[in-house]
Amino acid sequence: MITGSVIVYSIGFGIVTASILALAAVGFTLQFGVTNILNLAFGDIMTSAAVVGYGVNAIGGNIAESLAAGAVFGAITSTLLNRYLYTPFVRHGTKLFGMVVVTLSVGIIFQNVVLGWFGPNFFSYKLSQSKTYDVAGMFFTSIQFTIIGLAVGVMIAVQLLLTKTRLGKAMRATAANPDLAQASGIATDRVIDAAWLISGALCGLSGVVLVLNTTTFQSTTGNDFLVIIIAAAMLGGVGRPLGALVGAVILGLATEVSAAYMSPSFKEVIAFVVLVVVLLVRPGGLFGNADTVRSANA
Amino acid sequence: MSQAVSFYATTILVYFGVDILACWSFNLQYGVAGVLNFAFIMFQAVGAYTAAVLTLGPSSGNGGFQQYILGWTLPFPIPILVGGVVAGALAYVVGLVALRRLRSDYQAMVMLVISVIATLIVTNQTNLFNGPAGLSLIPQPLSSLASTNSYPWLFVGVTALICVIVYLFVHRVTSSPLGRTLRATRDNEDAAQALGKDVVKLRLFIFVFSNAIAGISGALLVQFIGAWSPGSWLYVETLVILTAVIVGGTGNNAGVILGALLVPVAFNEATRFIPPFGRPGLVDALQWIVIALLALVFLWFWPRGIIPERRRRFKVPAILLVGTDPPRSSAS
Repeated sequence: MITGSVIVYSIGFGIVTASILALAAVGFTLQFGVTNILNLAFGDIMTSAAVVGYGVNAIGGNIAESLAAGAVFGAITSTLLNRYLYTPFVRHGTKLFGMVVVTLSVGIIFQNVVLGWFGPNFFSYKLSQSKTYDVAGMFFTSIQFTIIGLAVGVMIAVQLLLTKTRLGKAMRATAANPDLAQASGIATDRVIDAAWLISGALCGLSGVVLVLNTTTFQSTTGNDFLVIIIAAAMLGGVGRPLGALVGAVILGLATEVSAAYMSPSFKEVIAFVVLVVVLLVRPGGLFGNADTVRSANA
Repeated sequence: MSQAVSFYATTILVYFGVDILACWSFNLQYGVAGVLNFAFIMFQAVGAYTAAVLTLGPSSGNGGFQQYILGWTLPFPIPILVGGVVAGALAYVVGLVALRRLRSDYQAMVMLVISVIATLIVTNQTNLFNGPAGLSLIPQPLSSLASTNSYPWLFVGVTALICVIVYLFVHRVTSSPLGRTLRATRDNEDAAQALGKDVVKLRLFIFVFSNAIAGISGALLVQFIGAWSPGSWLYVETLVILTAVIVGGTGNNAGVILGALLVPVAFNEATRFIPPFGRPGLVDALQWIVIALLALVFLWFWPRGIIPERRRRFKVPAILLVGTDPPRSSAS
């Protein structure tokens, strides 16, 4: 029997999942928005960041240090990848679907470096037994509180950055029309670097919090999560950070609450159903412009 | 030829045939029509499982150690053909959702998600295809026609025959006006549309057609091996076929045969002879890294592959040249 308390309980899980998902989906969508690249290596860079966080944790670092290390790793790796691999390929004349092959290959390389290095086993973060708090029938560990707080803080910061600062405005201008932005005196190369630094940091952070929440990981952990990240980003409209946030909240709650009704292994199927409905009804997503995803001979 | 060598040779030949079929199918979509089907392996798997459950007896047999649907014990070649039909039918449904006029990379991403979800469903819905354990003890077709020793060679013959038949179909498509139209939609979708070509419908047709071939290739493989599990049909396997097509020559039916020989066949066989070293999984991991690097290197240095697509030239009808000078020919 499904009782009311189970639903409240699963909403608690949903909030945590939504927080992790929001960090990842906003990072993913930002990369697409500013540089027009669907980075399928995103999930595998999350895993690599989790490995870095694990390393810091293993030599005695606390959670904050693990998070910081993961974020820095994600930011630097993503920026270097974009500057020295993705951008050259685009300039080389690789078409849109060629770029998907490029990013997928990069993801496979990252994933298998982790696999080759650590083997196929699961790894666990060493975390002190944390207290569980009861908030109106939902139970959170202190780590989950940290994750929720971090997500909320980062989301506010990203939103302020994009709407209030010069850099944010330059990013949005570059996303809308890179040539016009450059002609207007915006150093688009630097803006793109900044966008990848920020989205890469989000990628790294989300990788570490994903693993902090479940405490164990293996080489495919981040990539397994990528499907839901993609669904959240598409739901909100790819390229729209605010949309990705809303998509993450909807999907985070939907997957966890549905898990109370059926086998938890079907969580991703919910993401899939959402994706199909979005594609059929509003290909541009809730907040997106349908033209963004329409075919063009680019 | 000793029995071991004979067995090894036949296994490689059957794999090669299956990979050729897969590469033709993938090339029709990626190389000819410009559709990047990241769910490719799903269609191959669907064909394989369909053939398996049609060949196997009822699921209560053998002490009921595996659960599956159907179990009709149909004779060769019905399971293989139905495997192709089912894969084609699934492609129609997927195509209706994914092949709308979307950006090609967005399309690819949708397919990738579909592929991952399909794996999840098959693994978790145990009563469908026996879950993560997969199916085994699938009877081999025509096994009464040959002795145990010569049977693999019979299967090689069957594989070769299917390859030839499929090639006739594939060649018919690529060399026909249909193939030309598909290449036109690949190169300039808007122009093709402006000339009155229904891009979505054309793509849907080629998607169904080529994924039916993918289904046949999977069915053939599962009939040969007699067992298969969802862990062998993960979406990354598509990257192997994709790399084979890129290396061999995107858009070239002969080129992708070379690709099938170099990437899936030569690679799998080469690693078989490397003594296992390092921790478990290291050789596997290295193999994937090399395949991914191969795709990157070819996309950068030889994006058209080892045997590039033939540049097609067409004479402009004289009537169109009136008033234009000097006479010129236009390339497609």
